[in-house]
Amino acid sequence: MFKSVQYVLKENFSNLFRIYSIAKYELLADMRDSKFGIVWNFLSPTIQVFTYWLIFGVAWNRKPVEVNGVEVPYLLWLIVGYAAWWFIQPCITQGCSAIHSKINVITKMKFPVSVLPATVVCKEFFNHLCMLIIAFVALLLFGFRPNWYWLNLVYYAFCAFVIVEAIGLILSVLTMLWRDVKKLVTSLTRMLFYFTPLIWNCHFDSNVPFHSILNKIMKLNPFYYIVNGYRDSVFYQKNFWDHPALTVYFWIFTIIAFVLGCMLMYKFKKKFIDLF
Amino acid sequence: MTNKKENEQYAVIADHISKIYELRNKNNQHKNANKRFYALKDVSFKIKKGDVVGILGTNGSGKSTLSLLLSGISDIDSGEIVVNGEQALIAINTGLNMQLTGLENIKVKGALMGLKKKEIDAITQDVINFSELGDFLYQPVKKYSSGMKSRLGFSISLALDPDIFIVDEALSVGDKGFAKKCLDRMMQLRDDRGKTIFFISHSLEQVKNFCKTGMWIEGGELREMGPVDQVADHYSEYVDMLNALKGKEKQNFLDKKFEKRLIPKEEKKGFLSF
Repeated sequence: MFKSVQYVLKENFSNLFRIYSIAKYELLADMRDSKFGIVWNFLSPTIQVFTYWLIFGVAWNRKPVEVNGVEVPYLLWLIVGYAAWWFIQPCITQGCSAIHSKINVITKMKFPVSVLPATVVCKEFFNHLCMLIIAFVALLLFGFRPNWYWLNLVYYAFCAFVIVEAIGLILSVLTMLWRDVKKLVTSLTRMLFYFTPLIWNCHFDSNVPFHSILNKIMKLNPFYYIVNGYRDSVFYQKNFWDHPALTVYFWIFTIIAFVLGCMLMYKFKKKFIDLF
Repeated sequence: MTNKKENEQYAVIADHISKIYELRNKNNQHKNANKRFYALKDVSFKIKKGDVVGILGTNGSGKSTLSLLLSGISDIDSGEIVVNGEQALIAINTGLNMQLTGLENIKVKGALMGLKKKEIDAITQDVINFSELGDFLYQPVKKYSSGMKSRLGFSISLALDPDIFIVDEALSVGDKGFAKKCLDRMMQLRDDRGKTIFFISHSLEQVKNFCKTGMWIEGGELREMGPVDQVADHYSEYVDMLNALKGKEKQNFLDKKFEKRLIPKEEKKGFLSF
């Protein structure tokens, strides 16, 4: 167990430049492919958020979200939460094919396979930064000013980074074993979208039967912690240590996932070439 | 202790190595496949450091499988292989990104091969000179002809500095002029730097000119190993014999060879233990 974690960590940290280069040039190739290049990295999340806002904010007339006496316009609430999802979702779906999409490389040269999930995460982290810029601009336009609580964003971004890396390790190996995993995960992520507090706060009112149990189940989703964490930092002036139970739960979940991912990676490191 | 010292003069020691592939049945299903197939069967050899080995064999005889095992990409199923030194497979078109320019691709492929930033900067000029691409260096690789792609890919691959080179059909690309240039560079590596080289090619001429030792693999087994001229002659006799066979006879011959490589399926193994 420790051997596999040590193996994956060592391979990743001794190949930082390799990870950076792969992520960078893959982004660059993506941009070269289209005429407007980097503009799309900003435009596509904007269009996404705009769509959700039209449907849920305008058509269904969502009231501003109020927590602990702080009122936040729905659009802004949506943007900040969606910023986290814009990072998590592609990391999960593309993390599945992290190894499979590089099959022509790993069958032709000696390659540290365990760095591949990290390249996907780094690549998507760039898109996340673009989305965060949009969120900051929106926050400033709505009259929110930066304060020290915003620094919690760095912590929550780190949380998101670690958990999607862990999930990427697991899913990329599983996809090599059974290609169906990618299809299953793509569908499940779509479902997860509605059970993460993105377009609604995932809180059942007291008129719903079993509402207290349902609300607890919602919190078992590790992304609940991250998405709400993003909002806590910018709107509600809370630090991450204000949720000790959730923080502990999140890290236990993440560490178990990471160790599991490392063990899978270690077990199959030399087998991938025969699995495609 | 003496044994260890003795082993150090060898670049590669293969001791009864086998590689097994599983065959699918006609309906393309893995599950009911009852056929397992020796890609390589019980191959043993020792290669001294600085030796240049030409690997010969007909299509599907296991040459490329051997090159994957030698370069450490694939794992053997039984036996033991000891490799003293860093090894690298020359993979020409691997890692080139079609959207990016030639110059950017030097960085991409360099990084993929695991070079540090400084090392990439150091080799860039070399690669530019060797590949002779001129202004095409600033065009996206998707606009390149296949020969130009190979030039670029091969030039970058040469920048690696391993102790053991494995060249699998790499020199049969590009025009004659460039092929000669590549061969010259390989000879330089052979003579001046004393690298160990495994050279896989269907061009007997090239193999005879370039290699010292010949290794003939047939049907997954090591048929012969020795001075390159001798092995190459025996190999070409065998190919002539094969070509002289009439349709039915040849089919029978090949079927027999195939049968020999099959192994009966063992008891079903446990979950995740393959």
